[in-house]
Amino acid sequence: MQKNIRLIISFIVILVFIPLSLYAGITIFADRKYYFVSIVIMILACVPFFLSFERRKPQPREILVIAVMSAISVAGRALFVVTPGFKPVAAITAITGFSLGAEAGFLTGAISALVSNMFFGQGPWTPFQMFMWGMIGFIAGLLGKTRLMHKKIPLILFGIFAGIFFSFGMDVWGTISMYGVFSWKAYALALTSAVPFMIIYCISNVIFLLLLAKPISEKLDRIKNKYGILQ
Amino acid sequence: MKAFETFHPIVLFSFFVATIGLSMIFMHPVYLTITIFSAISLNIALRRQLFFKDWKLYVPLFFLMAIINPMISHNGQLVLLYVNGNAITVEAILYGIAIATMIVAIMLWFSCYNVMMTSDKFIYLFGKVSPALSLTLSISLRLVPRFKHQLTQIVQAQKVIGMDFTTGSLWHRIKCTVRILSILITWALDNAIDTADSMKARGYGVKKRTAFSIFIFERRDGFVLAMIILLFFSNLVASFIGTTTYYFYPTFGAVKWDMTSILFYISYVILLSIPLVFEIWGALKWRSLKSTM
Repeated sequence: MQKNIRLIISFIVILVFIPLSLYAGITIFADRKYYFVSIVIMILACVPFFLSFERRKPQPREILVIAVMSAISVAGRALFVVTPGFKPVAAITAITGFSLGAEAGFLTGAISALVSNMFFGQGPWTPFQMFMWGMIGFIAGLLGKTRLMHKKIPLILFGIFAGIFFSFGMDVWGTISMYGVFSWKAYALALTSAVPFMIIYCISNVIFLLLLAKPISEKLDRIKNKYGILQ
Repeated sequence: MKAFETFHPIVLFSFFVATIGLSMIFMHPVYLTITIFSAISLNIALRRQLFFKDWKLYVPLFFLMAIINPMISHNGQLVLLYVNGNAITVEAILYGIAIATMIVAIMLWFSCYNVMMTSDKFIYLFGKVSPALSLTLSISLRLVPRFKHQLTQIVQAQKVIGMDFTTGSLWHRIKCTVRILSILITWALDNAIDTADSMKARGYGVKKRTAFSIFIFERRDGFVLAMIILLFFSNLVASFIGTTTYYFYPTFGAVKWDMTSILFYISYVILLSIPLVFEIWGALKWRSLKSTM
């Protein structure tokens, strides 16, 4: 029951709060301060997830499991530092989401972004990465309930989707920072120039998901059943 | 010498929130000039050689952004030439330069942020607002080097039993890598449960969590914080009465040089040069101390 309420709150936030702040940003700042407004929206979008985690007073075991999964994806990002775009972060976040649910998925993605940028340097892109990776984990958590992700084809499709989703999201930031204002023409230009990156994201997601999904989710399920956490 | 860094984290954080926030909003030529020059000088003061290394990244980025705008935007009245029937205007070129200045300034401010706001300060600050989340963050931050250490041990142990991931066919290498990762995750998760149980045994969640920190809020912190807040609000006032508004389209607006505008420009200069003043002051003090030794 409590879990359902959390899910409903998350949906309300995504479908109501974010469009509302977008609208407020455009009307108050008179269509000009895209750079500022977009970053504020990204931070706002992350707040409800963090708030619900905080209000719930999580047990040490839950905190530790989320911290471990984020640390593994950060270490993975550091391991693949020489290959731009080819990173296991999205895949590990998605697997956490499949096994431990939407909230844990979001937190793992967002914390991975924040912590890895503590090593690689924070920037205006941090809120965007936090939200994008967080959402990949969140969507994975919603899909994980259907048990669809134990099959190979849905897993591959999800990897491709996550790559395109991440690229589309980060290109919003790219457009605004390169062009100053958001226009569909500039966005289309940014998207087409980022196609090679999008392909790398998709390929790396699919490879890492296929390789890691089974072993990691087995371990997470074992921990979940053995110690009864994040049920 | 890093003098501003020794201030309380809340002072540093409010300075960067105010500076980066205002730099993102103001698109006025005077304000852009102020922010880019203060960002450059603080960067030189803090990072010296590293800054000159970064220059190779910033200059092409600047020109790329300055070029993109006139290619896409064809507003403006001062037409230079026509390319494929589209006007290239002076307004669009200068608007592109303005945007490029803003973005580069923000990047430079962030690189100062990365030098000054180390992760311990960030976690200390957010431990008060959001204890569970900042605990997750700090555990995760601690685990990264620990995993790296454990990873080398696993790799060595696997090598001994013939699972060396640096040799053999590609399939063998992939199999070994996945095996190493799998061992690491099993170890990490079981270890995490141990840590969690010992946290619980020591009374986590019974009372409010306490944390060790070496940050003390002194009188000078209060003084500088008050100054930052005051200057931030004076700049917000400037934004409301329209001093910071400047139009590039349809053609350039006028830059005001009356008394109130100049006073507001000065307040922006003072806000952005707070860390630089402390850096210079600290360096001078250090030099005079060294000379009297």
